[in-house]
Amino acid sequence: MKSMKLLMPNGALVAALCTVTACAHQPQSPVTEQGRAFTARDAAETHAAPDVASGVTADRIARARGEPQNWLTYYGTYDGQRYSTLDQVSAGNVKSLKLAWQFQAGVIGLIASPATFAFEATPIVVDGVMYVSGWDGYVWALDAATGKMFWRYRHAIPLDVPLCCGNVNRGVAVASGKVIYATQNGHVVALDARSGTPVWDQVFVDVRAGESATMAPLVVKNMVLVGSSGGEYGVRGHIDAFDIATGRRVWRRYNVPKPGEQGSETWTGNAWQWAGGTAWITGSYDPELNLVYWGTGNPGPDFDGDARPGANLYTNSIIAFNPDDGALKWYYQTTPHDVWDYDGVNENILFDQGGRKLLAHFDRNGYLFVLDRANGQLVRASKFGNRVTWGDIDPTSGKVTVRLTPSAQGTEICPGPAGAKEWPHASYNQQTGLLYTPVMDLCGTFTTSRQDFREGMPYWGGGAAASKEGNRGYVKAIDPATGREAWSHEFPHPVVASTLSTAGGLVFIGESTGEFDALDAKSGELLWSMQTGSGIHSSPITYSVNGKQYVSVASGWGGWMKGFAPELYGETRGSALMVFALP
Amino acid sequence: MHRSSPSRHPTLLAGLALSMIALASCDYVRLLRPSVLKQLNPRVVRLVDELPAVDQQNEAIVGRLFPHGGLAHAEVGKDGVMRSRIHVPPNQFLWEPSVIVMPHGGDLELEFQNEDHNFHMAFLPSTGARQVVELPMHHGGRARIHLDQPGLYWFGCPVANHAGRGMLGLVMVKGDVPADAKLDRPKQRRPGH
Repeated sequence: MKSMKLLMPNGALVAALCTVTACAHQPQSPVTEQGRAFTARDAAETHAAPDVASGVTADRIARARGEPQNWLTYYGTYDGQRYSTLDQVSAGNVKSLKLAWQFQAGVIGLIASPATFAFEATPIVVDGVMYVSGWDGYVWALDAATGKMFWRYRHAIPLDVPLCCGNVNRGVAVASGKVIYATQNGHVVALDARSGTPVWDQVFVDVRAGESATMAPLVVKNMVLVGSSGGEYGVRGHIDAFDIATGRRVWRRYNVPKPGEQGSETWTGNAWQWAGGTAWITGSYDPELNLVYWGTGNPGPDFDGDARPGANLYTNSIIAFNPDDGALKWYYQTTPHDVWDYDGVNENILFDQGGRKLLAHFDRNGYLFVLDRANGQLVRASKFGNRVTWGDIDPTSGKVTVRLTPSAQGTEICPGPAGAKEWPHASYNQQTGLLYTPVMDLCGTFTTSRQDFREGMPYWGGGAAASKEGNRGYVKAIDPATGREAWSHEFPHPVVASTLSTAGGLVFIGESTGEFDALDAKSGELLWSMQTGSGIHSSPITYSVNGKQYVSVASGWGGWMKGFAPELYGETRGSALMVFALP
Repeated sequence: MHRSSPSRHPTLLAGLALSMIALASCDYVRLLRPSVLKQLNPRVVRLVDELPAVDQQNEAIVGRLFPHGGLAHAEVGKDGVMRSRIHVPPNQFLWEPSVIVMPHGGDLELEFQNEDHNFHMAFLPSTGARQVVELPMHHGGRARIHLDQPGLYWFGCPVANHAGRGMLGLVMVKGDVPADAKLDRPKQRRPGH
């Protein structure tokens, strides 16, 4: 080898030849060992989950309010209310709430987005079995009363998957004996709910185009609906429907029209090709109207509006479509021609009031929109964000007046790039008639820069640096009949967890610093708090097994912290699902 | 000045030919092709020049630069399964090769040979569940994994800190997503174009 180095002037050649020598001489040893699955326990100790999922149908999900012991769909019920009629845990006894069990997954080895993975999932619970997903392709089936694992499945996720913000997954759907989820690299996978083995697997996004998937699927009729992620990569957002039994694609709808299609007049030139409008948060569904309601994301590029003149439909919109074919029934654009990255993806809560079928949507732009969900007409727009300087929205007409936009030199604008409310969800309590929403109060410096689109690369057209000081968070109770605030509970950092409201007179919320809290639904008073050890960026749920009520929350800080709480970027990470009950 | 000519030394010529045949069976020989050498980025050459210090255990650093055991293209069998062999040389904490290229998604069968004086394991990516195969000293092991999407996947030795010392490797899956998963839009420019 030394003589080779003397002869060869180029280090590259030397290295190559050295390696060749090793390659050409490979001794042979007996192959005695065979690969096996890296599972938690030996095969003799693994157990099939009880067959509880085969009885879950879309009709049963439509009546989920009637079986509060379960959490059958992403929001608990199709209406997106995240409200439970369980009342064993109440304002009177919540101070006695104790940890019943916890599940910890941890991280083994290298993963995509290693600094920003997070535990964001909403579990599904069916008759004592919990199905929950995690970062990096994981799904676990657990005993909902003890935490014992029945099975786990892990789709192999490549290190270079084009994630926007974090290695996360927000949950699974369960129906017809299957657990269905969307992997970070864009597969829709249906697993046998008893064994965790795949039944079908369909690819629904193109990772080479910058697409990915993070959301929990929605079961509607005989289909499962999934939406794409990748709004920061100049993709063309879409929602796809697959047949639950076979995995056959039923339809795909794009959220941005091609030239000649309805809405294309709001685009110029080729901008529609990298227009955004992704659909990375689960929709809600009204079976009577047969309409699915879904929020759409920002246009691309995020901050350079000059690259895409026009209103940019149907980005930043609430869209109502027919689940049978994906056809658009109506839309309401909450932020026309968005240049602040105020995705309109947030949940749509369906509720009835005064004989009207209504929809409530807390938008990132700081306004609460109440719409008639039959036709999309605005009932009222009201400001819920604390500092909202980008513009004003007329409460009755919905007319938008823009005040501040990003600039080359940078413009200080509120709220910051993650908005006044990030994706974590609000709830609607049928007893109090109030909406409970998490709120972020922070601003940002927004800049623009001209950028040529290159497929698979981020396409921001500028940037936004969220403020690091003076940030606060809130849970606010808001009367949807008036838009007025009933109470507000302040927290020292932006709140990026979902609220859960119950008939026990409680609102559960997780803090960015790890506290899991119970507030009085009527007053906002803090009644109970437990430090979980890592920031909470997930959605608590409640369920019961054998008559005992449990409350669960996933604790595992991460995600787009630079956008919603940059002051907490260095906080500890975690990966625990914690479940509480009365002694 | 006397110069030897290959034509005057048939034995030397035959030896050279045999060496080239042996080399041709190895993917590293690709690096020697003029067309490849011309593509070497000067920054890469500078990095490679550092190898005498960082490609050995306990020289420039405590461990070694990973993954630097070379690259191999998995061969596609008649049964559609892709196959490759990985060797663990003595005293190196190294997978050789440490980069395996799959031409497309599918099943990959890996055969390992552990010629090191240490017990190793291969911890491998695979859809469904990761795979592990134990590699006692001077024994081999075989594992089949399934990777179904284009991208970069890692593998490593989970014993002690063998991975940190250098036993990290990559499986690169080339190819594309199915046509019906692609966006309905004209072909787009990609970075570098």
